[in-house]
Parts: sequence; structure tokens; C-alpha cells
Amino acid sequence: MKNNDIKLISNGKRLDGRAPNEMRSMKIVPNVVKNSGGSAYMEWGKNKIIAAVYGPGEALPRHTANPDRAVIKCRYMMAPFSSSEEHGRVGMNRRAIEISKVTAEVFENIVLLDQFPGTEINIYIEVLQSDGGTRAAGITCASVAMALSGIPMKDLPYAVSVGKVGEDVILDLDKLEDNYSDADVPLAILPRTDSVALLQMDGEMTKKQFNDAMAMAMEAGKTISKLQKDALRSQYIEQEQKYR
Amino acid sequence: MRTLTSEFLRERMAKGVRNSKRDAMSYRGITLTTGTMPNAEGSAEAVIGSTKVLAGIKVALAEPMQDTPEEGNLTTSAELLPMASENYDIGPPTPEGVEFARVVDRGIRHGGILDMSKLFIEEGKVWNVFLDLYVINYDGNLFDAGTLASMAAIATTRMPRYEDEKVVRDESMKRLETGNIITSCTFGKVLDELLLDPDGAEEELMKARLTVANSEDAIHAMQKGLGGSFSVKEIDSLIDAAFEKSKELRGIVKRSIGD
Amino acid sequence: MKRIVVPGDLVDEKPVHLMDAFIEGNKTYATVISVYDDDKKTLIPLEGLWYPRKDEIVIGVIEEAKLNTYTVQLNAPYKGIIISKYAESSMANGDMIEASVKELDKTGTVVLSRPRVLNGGKLLRIRPAKVHRLLGRSNTMLRQITDGTGTMIKVGMNGVIWLRGGDTDLATDAVMRIQDEAHVAGLTDRIGSMVKAQAPKPQPAPPHPEEGSE
Repeated sequence: MKNNDIKLISNGKRLDGRAPNEMRSMKIVPNVVKNSGGSAYMEWGKNKIIAAVYGPGEALPRHTANPDRAVIKCRYMMAPFSSSEEHGRVGMNRRAIEISKVTAEVFENIVLLDQFPGTEINIYIEVLQSDGGTRAAGITCASVAMALSGIPMKDLPYAVSVGKVGEDVILDLDKLEDNYSDADVPLAILPRTDSVALLQMDGEMTKKQFNDAMAMAMEAGKTISKLQKDALRSQYIEQEQKYR
Repeated sequence: MRTLTSEFLRERMAKGVRNSKRDAMSYRGITLTTGTMPNAEGSAEAVIGSTKVLAGIKVALAEPMQDTPEEGNLTTSAELLPMASENYDIGPPTPEGVEFARVVDRGIRHGGILDMSKLFIEEGKVWNVFLDLYVINYDGNLFDAGTLASMAAIATTRMPRYEDEKVVRDESMKRLETGNIITSCTFGKVLDELLLDPDGAEEELMKARLTVANSEDAIHAMQKGLGGSFSVKEIDSLIDAAFEKSKELRGIVKRSIGD
Repeated sequence: MKRIVVPGDLVDEKPVHLMDAFIEGNKTYATVISVYDDDKKTLIPLEGLWYPRKDEIVIGVIEEAKLNTYTVQLNAPYKGIIISKYAESSMANGDMIEASVKELDKTGTVVLSRPRVLNGGKLLRIRPAKVHRLLGRSNTMLRQITDGTGTMIKVGMNGVIWLRGGDTDLATDAVMRIQDEAHVAGLTDRIGSMVKAQAPKPQPAPPHPEEGSE
């Protein structure tokens, strides 16, 4: 949605003071849902998200099972109190169903599904507080949860959104930017091979702007990947340090 | 998956301890944190042992109910998130989830916490307080965790204003005025023993459950659950225990809301 | 040198055939969180799921007694099944059992044989990747705990542990500590001093000693 009343960038700074290629601050806490196979809590700017993984387990209902491999099911949902505005409707809407689908597909790329024929793996992503970029944060957080669950994967996906304001390419759009930007591109990347596992786009961009945006996302990915790996290692390192 | 046998629990209780090394009338460790979700008008997270329940409050403009034209409303819902337990599924609310929301709602609604007439704005316009409970991890005794989280979230709620026919949410929102502090105590009957704050493994063996929600001087809501029963004498003693134990819980609420 | 690797991390510049790793472009990458020893070329998983192997012992809970079969919860990707006629005695829903793996059938069900009901006691669930550490080389770790606590312990390779008698609290703490510290050197000694320091009686434990140290 174009809006000429709100100036999202002036003098090279965004409304919250960030540079165009600057991400919001992030934090990942592993193992927050004791009953799950693996879980993580993530703060990404003002976004607050919990992801938990169950399975593999018996695929139910039975007709959803694939006799050759595991199926991945994802539920991404926003809490009714997650927005700074009105009370949200409880339950899944079309947006949530789509995000759930593309998130599951990210993990289909890299989970060793053929090791678990006939089973299902469930990814639950609960957005407790939202401020733009929740699907990227959800995927990044779910990736940590999946690794903690011990389900074998060939890579550790991360996600981030890029976009455009006026002629400027920007990284990691917050809610206001998401609402009023000229383009928005959520991406999920498999860092070992730098492959794109999720790509959506709306708005208007030249091919050059898109390429610049992509390069910006990949650069940011180094930081996000490191944060994920540090979160995964942290619990083991803490245990070791007790005896140093 | 069941993890305790009745033989094991019986041997333990003969020695006066439960599975988790506490006595019959003790809670597990409790933490109550408010303001965890600043986008919400009020929020709190209650943790009892490994049970984790989040309460979020949003306040919205609404039309009054026909029978109470000069009062606002409270709407309570609960989500037993599928991540919280291998026994919870995706889908419409289960009877278990609905009972949880309604029991918490009754304690809050009848506990003299909210003055509904103060939620009146003008003719045809009132505030609706939405209380949403999110169960993040289940390990027994959702009711007490839900009531603690709800109480603390409501007591720290900041009210939007209605100005120039618009709802304004900003830095200068004032705290919602609240009265009593309500807490609940839930007891389980497990192998004919009465246990405060049953955990998930104990609930697997629990035959009957009694929840008492009270303020300092009165009972405001009760709920007996499951297929077993309590004697009148047992209920009498559990109400006494609830009044006694609620002193502890009220202290936890007061500290968390900064009173 | 030992280092912690996570899924997708390069384990070795050369192709090394390892469980919990894959080879691509002549290089080796991890699939689960593990510790890699560059010198010994060993990859020890810190997380992981249980894969049933023939004749392995598992512990589970009877979920449903049907006409000809029992289904068993195993804390695993797979459900267990016992053909009723191979069970020596009848079992009830909620019974804790020990059994051995006969096979993983095509529908993703673990066929179990020689079921035995475990009476009394309680179950613990630990992460299957830590089971080997709990047993220790020739069961040394496990024996330390049973000797020090007087608790009877049965270990299912699926990560379900059954405990009965003795100082079950101390035994539980020891098992959970092994789960948390499986990768930290010197664990056997730490567990040894933990159970000795708090053990109720230094002599060989009686079958059902009093619990608690006071």
C-alpha cells in the first residue's frame, strides 16, 4: 500500500532509526516447551514467537500418511492478543493457512523424510506478539526447535524479509513498513547451499532492486544463522562450563 | 503416556511425600510475571511446576448486552495449544478447554475484580474486556495457573480511551481499576488422598477434582470435576485449606502486580 | 579436537561414512546436533530419535488391549504392537511393560515380543540419544546408580526408564543429570560421587531399603 503521508526513510534512517540494511535485535531461547520434542522462543524486534516440534509419530488421520516418507504438518497461528490494535479473531484465517503451508514446505527441503515412512512431523508456531515479519521469525525459530527435537536435517533454514521503500531496498520490515512499503519479499534460505526455500513477493521492484534485496538477505543470514547455532550449542556449553 | 503406578504413589504417600518430593498440601514452585506481551492491554504468564499458562487482555469497543445496557462485558476464551501436550489436538475447543475457560471466568467475574459499570462509555457503547488464556505447556492444574495469570493480567491492564469516536491506545493509558484479588486452589483425589495442585502424572490417576476460587473473605466460584466424588466433610476441609493456601497465592499476585 | 556441530555443519572436508551425517560433493555434513572428534573421526549425537533394531529391549505402556493385539506407547515415532497369543499373561490398559523388538513392519509399527509387565514403580522419559551414556561401557554407569541408590532400574533403548524401590528420588536425579551432562567429560566420576555422597547405606543395598537419607 503506497502512502505518501508517512515518510518511512529520511536521511538514510528508517522510522525506528535503523539503516536500510540493519536488522532488529533478536534473541533465541531453546527448550521452552517441556512436553515437546524440541522447542524455542524467539524475540525478533517486538515479535515474540514460540515454536515447538512433535514427532515423527503416527500420521492421523490415516489417509494423510505417505507410505514412503514422513509428512510435515505446520500450524502457524497468531494469538488474539498479539496485535497492538484490535482483539484478533481466534482461529485460522486464510493468511495463517497459507503461511502454515509454505512453512511446512521449507522443512520438506531438508528433513530426512524417507527415514520415517508413514509418520507425521508437527510444527506448531504460536505468534504471541506481532510487529511485522512473523513468518520469517516463525521459520527461523521452528528451525531451532526442529534441530533440538533430534529430527535429522541436511541444513538449518533461516528466514528474513526484504522490501522496498521509495527507491531504497530495506532489510527486515517491521509492521509499519510492511503496511506502507512499495514491496515486501519474505525469504527462507538454506544456508549450506544458499538455496531459496521460500520466496513470496508483492509490490513493485525492478530486477536490480530484487537482486540487491536478495544479496542483503543473504548477508543478514550470516548473523541469523550464527544466532541459531549459538542457541543450539548454548545448553551444552553451559553444562560444560559448570566444570571448568 | 502414564508414568506413575498407583503402587508407587501409595508407597510414597505412606511416607508423606508425593512424586515431586512435596507434601499433600503444597504447591510446586510458582512464578507469575506481568507485562510479558506489551502489545496486549494486559498480560501475565503463570508457571506452576512445568505448567505454563499465558493470559492476554485486549479491550475493545462493543455494544452492551441487552439486559445490561449500562455495563461492559468480559469475554473469556482458552486455547489448549497443540504444542502444550501430546494429548492436545488441533481443532475446535474441546469440553476440557471450555470447562477451563469457564471456571477461570467465573472466579474472575464473580470475584468483585471488575466493576462492569465502569466499563460503560456512553449509551450504546461499552468496553469489552477480552481475556484469552494460552496453555503453552501442560503438567496438571491448569485452573490455578489460569486464574493466577488472568488475575495478574487484568490487574495490570491499561485501558484505551474513547476520544472523538475513536479508540486511542497510547503511552498515557491508565490502569484498569480493580477490586478484590481472586485466586483458586485445585485439589485432586488420588488414591483416596487429597492433594493440592496435582501435576500431570498425578492427574492421570486422579478420580475427582475440586477447585475453589476465593478472595480474602468469601468463596466466589467452585467446580467439582471428573467421575469421582468428595464427601461433605472433605469439601469442608478443602475450603478451609483453600482459604489458608490462598494467602500464599495472593502474596504472589500482589508482588507481580506491584502492589 | 572435539567440537559441537549442528544440522548442515561441515563435519569433515573429506567423505567420512558416519551415522547422523551425509556426504555431498565429497564432503561430510552433520544431520543432528552432535560432537565431532576431528582426530578420532567419531560423531556422537547429542540429540536424536530412536530407530528400532531387532532384539533391542524397549519399555512402554499398554495403550489399548484389543481382541488379538495390544498397542503400546513407546515414546517414539512408532507405535508398538504385541500379538496377544504371544503374551504369556493378559495385560491391561496403562500397564507398564518391557519387551523386545521383533521387527519394524512396513506400516511403521514396531512388532514386539516377549512382553513382561513391570509391577509398581515409575517411568522416566529421557532423550534416546542419551541412553548409551546412561548404560555406560558394559553397564558401568547404570550399575553405579543401582548400587548407590538400591533402586531397581530397567532401561528401554527407546528412552523410557523404569525405576522401583530404593532411593528413587536420588536415582531419578542421577538419570536426569546423565541426560543433561552426557557430553561433559568426567561424568562417571560425578555420578559416582553423587550417589555415594547421598546414598542411604554404604553396604550392598537390600531389595527394598527405606527411602530418604534421614
